[in-house]
Amino acid sequence: MTITLYDFELSGNCYKLRLLMSILGLPYDIVPVDFFPGREHKADWFLRLNPFGQLPVLKDDDLVLSDSGAILAYLAKKYDASGQWFPDDPAITAEILRWHAVADDITATSSAARLALGYDYDFDIEKSQKGAHRIFRLIDEHLWFGEREGRDWLCAPSHPTTADIACFPYVMLSEEGGISRQDYPALRRWTDRVRRIPGFTVMSGIFPAGPAKVD
Amino acid sequence: MPLSLSDPNWYPIASSEDLPFRHVYQGQLLGRELAVWRADDGNVNVWENRCLHRGVRLSIGINEGQELKCQYHGWRYANRSAGCTYIPAHPADAPARRIENRKYPVREAYGLIWSAANDEKPFAPFPGAEGQSWFALRPMPVNAAPEDVVAGLARLAPDDQPADLLPGLTVRLGEIVYFVQPVDAGRAVIRGLLPETPADALAALRHHNEHLTHLRDRLERAAARKPAPEPLQPIYEKVSADLATMPDIAVPRGNTLNVVVSRKWQSADGVIGFELADRDGKHLPTFQPGAHIDVHLPNGLVRQYSITNGPGDLLSYVIGVKQENASKGGSKVLVETVREGDVLAISEPRNNFPLRRDATRTVLIAGGIGITPLLSMARFLDKSSLPYELHYFTRNGESVAFKSELDALHGAVHVHTGLARDAIRGTIDQVLGPHQFANHVYICGPGAMLEMVQETAARLGWPDEAVHFEYFQNDKTIDASSAFDIELARSAMTLHVPAGKTILEVMREAGLTVPSSCEQGACGTCLTTVMEGEVDHQDVYLNKSEKASNTCMMTCVSRAKSARLVLDI
Amino acid sequence: MPNAPDPITRNLWHVVAATDELPLGLVETTLLLDTRLALTRGNDGEPVVWLRRDEEQGDEIDAGTIHDRLPVRTAYGYTWTCLGTPADDLFPIPEFAEPDRVNMSCGSIGIHVSAPRAVENFLDMGHFPYVHTDILGSEPHTEVKEYDVEVSEERDEVLATKCRFMQPRAAKSATTAMEVEYVYRVPHPFCSVLYKSCPEDESRRDVIGIFLQPMTEERCRAHLLQSMIDSTSTITDLRRFQQTIFGQDKPILENQYPKKLPLDPRAETPIRADKSAIAYRRWLSQKGITYGVIPQAS
Repeated sequence: MTITLYDFELSGNCYKLRLLMSILGLPYDIVPVDFFPGREHKADWFLRLNPFGQLPVLKDDDLVLSDSGAILAYLAKKYDASGQWFPDDPAITAEILRWHAVADDITATSSAARLALGYDYDFDIEKSQKGAHRIFRLIDEHLWFGEREGRDWLCAPSHPTTADIACFPYVMLSEEGGISRQDYPALRRWTDRVRRIPGFTVMSGIFPAGPAKVD
Repeated sequence: MPLSLSDPNWYPIASSEDLPFRHVYQGQLLGRELAVWRADDGNVNVWENRCLHRGVRLSIGINEGQELKCQYHGWRYANRSAGCTYIPAHPADAPARRIENRKYPVREAYGLIWSAANDEKPFAPFPGAEGQSWFALRPMPVNAAPEDVVAGLARLAPDDQPADLLPGLTVRLGEIVYFVQPVDAGRAVIRGLLPETPADALAALRHHNEHLTHLRDRLERAAARKPAPEPLQPIYEKVSADLATMPDIAVPRGNTLNVVVSRKWQSADGVIGFELADRDGKHLPTFQPGAHIDVHLPNGLVRQYSITNGPGDLLSYVIGVKQENASKGGSKVLVETVREGDVLAISEPRNNFPLRRDATRTVLIAGGIGITPLLSMARFLDKSSLPYELHYFTRNGESVAFKSELDALHGAVHVHTGLARDAIRGTIDQVLGPHQFANHVYICGPGAMLEMVQETAARLGWPDEAVHFEYFQNDKTIDASSAFDIELARSAMTLHVPAGKTILEVMREAGLTVPSSCEQGACGTCLTTVMEGEVDHQDVYLNKSEKASNTCMMTCVSRAKSARLVLDI
Repeated sequence: MPNAPDPITRNLWHVVAATDELPLGLVETTLLLDTRLALTRGNDGEPVVWLRRDEEQGDEIDAGTIHDRLPVRTAYGYTWTCLGTPADDLFPIPEFAEPDRVNMSCGSIGIHVSAPRAVENFLDMGHFPYVHTDILGSEPHTEVKEYDVEVSEERDEVLATKCRFMQPRAAKSATTAMEVEYVYRVPHPFCSVLYKSCPEDESRRDVIGIFLQPMTEERCRAHLLQSMIDSTSTITDLRRFQQTIFGQDKPILENQYPKKLPLDPRAETPIRADKSAIAYRRWLSQKGITYGVIPQAS
């Protein structure tokens, strides 16, 4: 098997795949795509790979996949021997897909604000910021009660899933969109936990967490 | 009533549960951002959320357990004191000046973390606080003016049981107490307490959370119809003038502080441990690994002892004192006459034996009582998960001091007991091995051992700057027979130093204030820059290459070979 | 109301866009010194800049119809303009004209911090191991060795030389750790140029420029330039490397406050490694720059 990721370093959606592959210890090649300022994702050669003109695209031998959430599910189902990242249990699958949808909402708000402020995209900044705050409030509440119920992660009780990977990048990058996380302490603690998953890797804009306390 | 930056009231700023170990919580009170973190010893620190170096938020930094590390340049700040203990850009220097972050008062009580904008008011429990085991609700941030949030909470009360408005933005509704944390002019957090843990805690938490969510939504809708209040404009305090410039060498402070001997014990055969604490239970000043304090003894003598503590461990200093039969005056007085409960004067910590934290391999070699500074170094390296080896040479098993502290270390700790001189040499030879890039060795112990390690290291190709040592005392016989002139460049004076007098004494007689400590060429306090002339070095503080450079000297014992010395004083 | 920019700042040439990225015949909008600007390129490819009125991003426009034009210079792949009375020339980067160099823009990235804070970060080496971990620095090599700083009278620029730092992967073409030598120039209050040892040719230096467009006192756009001796990497590779570095600096800069650069020496705590930053702050102070800084109370 040869996995190739069509990748842009500063893209949180591409990072989701780098992160999961790093955690799973999967080797892969990178084809850098000049998303900014080159807008290469709208070039003909890229549109032939993904007519939607969006990053990331992942090739596994001859199979060409797009959409970060879909690829996360693919990688987990195909390469995660532990079965924990995308479990077969129908209820948990539904829960994960629910949070993959939340991740897309985070992209549509937090990432949009970041693109508008940092990369000159013509998006409604205030609307994007408000939308992100609305979602972060709900996640913070979900995680706060999770901590009391013994659930440290978005879905399954004892381990992270692709839902955590899918939601993480644009939560961590929200400040670049002018969205402070000060009012979401449980969300901030969860970002520490994600950053302590064995095999975690960073992207530009996200710093690692220090080691946890050992007794 | 508008919020005031100088409001002296205590407010809750977080729940206790918001502060797990190794996390930095981002808070805000009266417009000022806070970095709040719990150290591994349980202590909660509330600091201005801003590194003094370049203004970066400390809440994006790393809680290393007993120190907070800034994300920008890796500066470390100690638990309790907020004092800087390490600046990685200059790994060989001890931070020369007292760099201390702005701290706010803190108290952990009733499941909440409390703080205040200033120290004007002591913490006082809210009315009716005592005698209950309070249970904190999920905090509810609200984008509305704190006074509007208080009014909104008060309106929740049923008609027949009006809300009880307590001082400090507090509302009691029946048995529930709600505190409104004034985050900023237009932002607040509602922090509720139940008097005890309810039977079905989770259901109660969900119920109250729902209730407060509705209140929040109403308050935010109302706030959106009003013009947003102007945020408070906190003022960042200026750093002291001596921090604004960059001194080349550390300028020791003359301050002494009084400490009480809180514990005195036999740590090992021939070693007495002393624990020195502030009389009011406050924390002591920040120190760096390798630092020592001057202890002013009841008989008027001043002696130096290394601090053995680990990072951020500032509630007391622990020192080890050698119980020497022949010890004249110094340690003997401490060992024989000072008791638990006695008060001693000590200097602020000074560091002439700084630890680099940028080595790929750190070897710590201790002989006897020389373990004291190296124990502190090992504890710092241990906490930061940096690689180190500690080799501790003692006469026999009974003379191993600070055994439980050594046992708590995770690194490679080797105790070598009862070795003869040649065996010690062989062991050191093996331990050091040939020098490799970014390897450093630190030695403290008897003079003969220091010299043995220095010789061995030199033979194995270790450069002088990789070999760090601290002498406890200068065993050499000082030759004070020369006579010469000194020219003090900055003071524009020329003085004559006759035989039998030291440079230090002559300068003092001329009315100059010059810092000194041990006055036997061992501690490094009187280090002076030499601009011209040839120095007759007689100290044990400077290393060979420093001596050869002829650019600095210790004025307490060293003299001139030339007829004239020009000093930068 | 924003503060009016000081006359020095007003009369400077300011970068506003990568010339190649300006669309032909379409309006691009931006902000400079709190002033709304519109930009386009005419059929001749030459950029045109004017004060924006009701134009919107993406509107079609005929450059020939624009009369009240602001002064324009093109240099180093970028378009520069001035709201006051500009000097004749922009600062020189002679290396840019060397024929065998790969010159490229690396994107214009908005940052929520003042332009001088971003310049100061560009001059800083001490953060390499902590912010650019395993690329421009890594623990335990954290030391900033002594270097020289001067304000060149002749060229009126801050110059830091003999800056050395141990780097695991100094450039796209580097494969092993090496001690790199840097020279930093600050030839413009909001621009800096860095020369670093080139892994491919010991006798020459790679050039990296950062040109800051002060949009407001607390917001700027960083325009990055690379002028490299690199015969193997693609433009995409080289851009990716530089964007990775800059993307790491961004959260640091956006978490700095106050966002304006304080010029009072007692506002922050410098160390020896900050010599170039101290010289830069003094230089701004002496020039009388007040935009994007907190001037020292006299």
